[in-house]
Amino acid sequence: MNQPSRLRIENLNVFYGQNQVLKDISLALPDNRITVIIGPSGCGKTTLLKSLNRLLDEQEGVRVEGRVLLDGQDIYQPEADITLIRKRMGLLSQKPQVLPMSIYDNVAFGPRLLGLRDRRVLDGLVEKYLRLAGLWDEVKNRLQEPAARLSIGQQQRLCLARGLAVEPEVILGDEPTSALDPQSSRNVETQLLSLKENYTIVLVTHILRQAKRLADYVAFLYFGELIEFGPASEVLVSPRDPRTRAYITGEIS
Amino acid sequence: MNNQPGHQNSGRLRTRLRVESFFKLLMVVSACLVLASLVLILAIILWKSLPALKLSMITRNPGSGYYLGREGGILNAILGSLQVVFGATLLALAIALPAVVFLNSYLRRKSRLAELIRFALDVLWGIPSIVYGAFGFLIMITFHLRASLLAGLITVALVELPILSRALDETIKLVPADLKEATYSLGASRWQTATRVVLRQTFPGLVTAVLMAMGRGLGDAAAVLFTAGYTDKITTSLLQPVATLPLAIFFQLNSPFPEVQQRAFASAAILTLLILLISLASRSLSRRLSRHKIR
Repeated sequence: MNQPSRLRIENLNVFYGQNQVLKDISLALPDNRITVIIGPSGCGKTTLLKSLNRLLDEQEGVRVEGRVLLDGQDIYQPEADITLIRKRMGLLSQKPQVLPMSIYDNVAFGPRLLGLRDRRVLDGLVEKYLRLAGLWDEVKNRLQEPAARLSIGQQQRLCLARGLAVEPEVILGDEPTSALDPQSSRNVETQLLSLKENYTIVLVTHILRQAKRLADYVAFLYFGELIEFGPASEVLVSPRDPRTRAYITGEIS
Repeated sequence: MNNQPGHQNSGRLRTRLRVESFFKLLMVVSACLVLASLVLILAIILWKSLPALKLSMITRNPGSGYYLGREGGILNAILGSLQVVFGATLLALAIALPAVVFLNSYLRRKSRLAELIRFALDVLWGIPSIVYGAFGFLIMITFHLRASLLAGLITVALVELPILSRALDETIKLVPADLKEATYSLGASRWQTATRVVLRQTFPGLVTAVLMAMGRGLGDAAAVLFTAGYTDKITTSLLQPVATLPLAIFFQLNSPFPEVQQRAFASAAILTLLILLISLASRSLSRRLSRHKIR
């Protein structure tokens, strides 16, 4: 493949205590494309995703070997600035996690971390990113309400807006629609498709149809190993590995 | 389950039902005892104090005689108790909050140090307050200090510290890991996560913990017995002795005169009322403050 890629995983091994959950993964995630990671539950999809912004560091008893390169810099270098790395990778979690504050403050959280205080600039940013996440029209009249009062679908789009407001380069999604109703899921999917123009997107999903709708590239993980990676048209339609085929046809799940 | 209702089975069922109703009765009785003891205590205190409960009790200092005065009020002790407990709670909070944030945001959940600190707090919790009082007294003697508001509030702060820390610890522990992850993934440092998100999420619990510790400090007599002294006047300096409600009750109850004993019950009624007010305030505040809380 000759896709340009600024985010590369090289020989990544992850252990939870004695348990190896990721085995020697090497993967170059193409810029400005949606790469979907599929595989049975418990195969290490979420671990792989969380290794990309070093959220794994927050868990106990985890050991990471190998490299994750962002623009050629290994993010696991001891001198790497974790907060800076995380700012470059927005994360959408399975269950939307809004912060215990108003809708406005949720979106303004990231910019404020960067030291932005000017109310007018913040107002502009909040509107911009709420629009980008497709939520502005629904909340523009109640920006000061607690974010926890939004519906779960709206909360997930708020999380998207909040993540985008940090101006990341990569968006990581950990089954971002799994807690949502079909309509909200469609909303989030639409936003993701329109965002890939400017962002590199990595999604974990266990819904094959969603993978088909969104993926430019597909990576298939099975028991911690990367079995197959390639353009969606190839992996999802005519997989090379029998295990991928078995998963896609629903023989293993 | 067995779906063949035989003679033997129905016998077993009857036993089970009987056992169940027996334990249910036991539980109802226990629950009623809890309520009854509260009502009984309140009733007795009110009944015994009724003759002495006048407005002057809360608006005036003790009148004639040493602080067991048969007239005037216990304004000195009410204000003194509030001075001690506000000072003590502020001091305890200033130590407990950073300690608990450190425990939860900087130490791993199973870290040895965290375990040790929690163990120490549990032990401190179990130490009777008279021991803290004796400890405070020893320190005062060593430094040639006299019983004072300062010494009293430091000792009460020691009593409150483990209660406050453990209560804060329990509320902060309940913050979902996902919420912290979400904050971290926005590029927030541990400090920023702790101060801007974790404390906000736990603010209602924090207020409840503070009020709980205040209630405990307000009622504690042993801690102030040697350290705070007693006075008929209103305390205006940290180095003056200070009157407190529990000691007012203690001294008045020791008096041979029935009318002074009545005033002890009036003091008890006022102390109980204050603690009741604190509990009510903590309930309504924590409800009002949970507006933004993520459930």
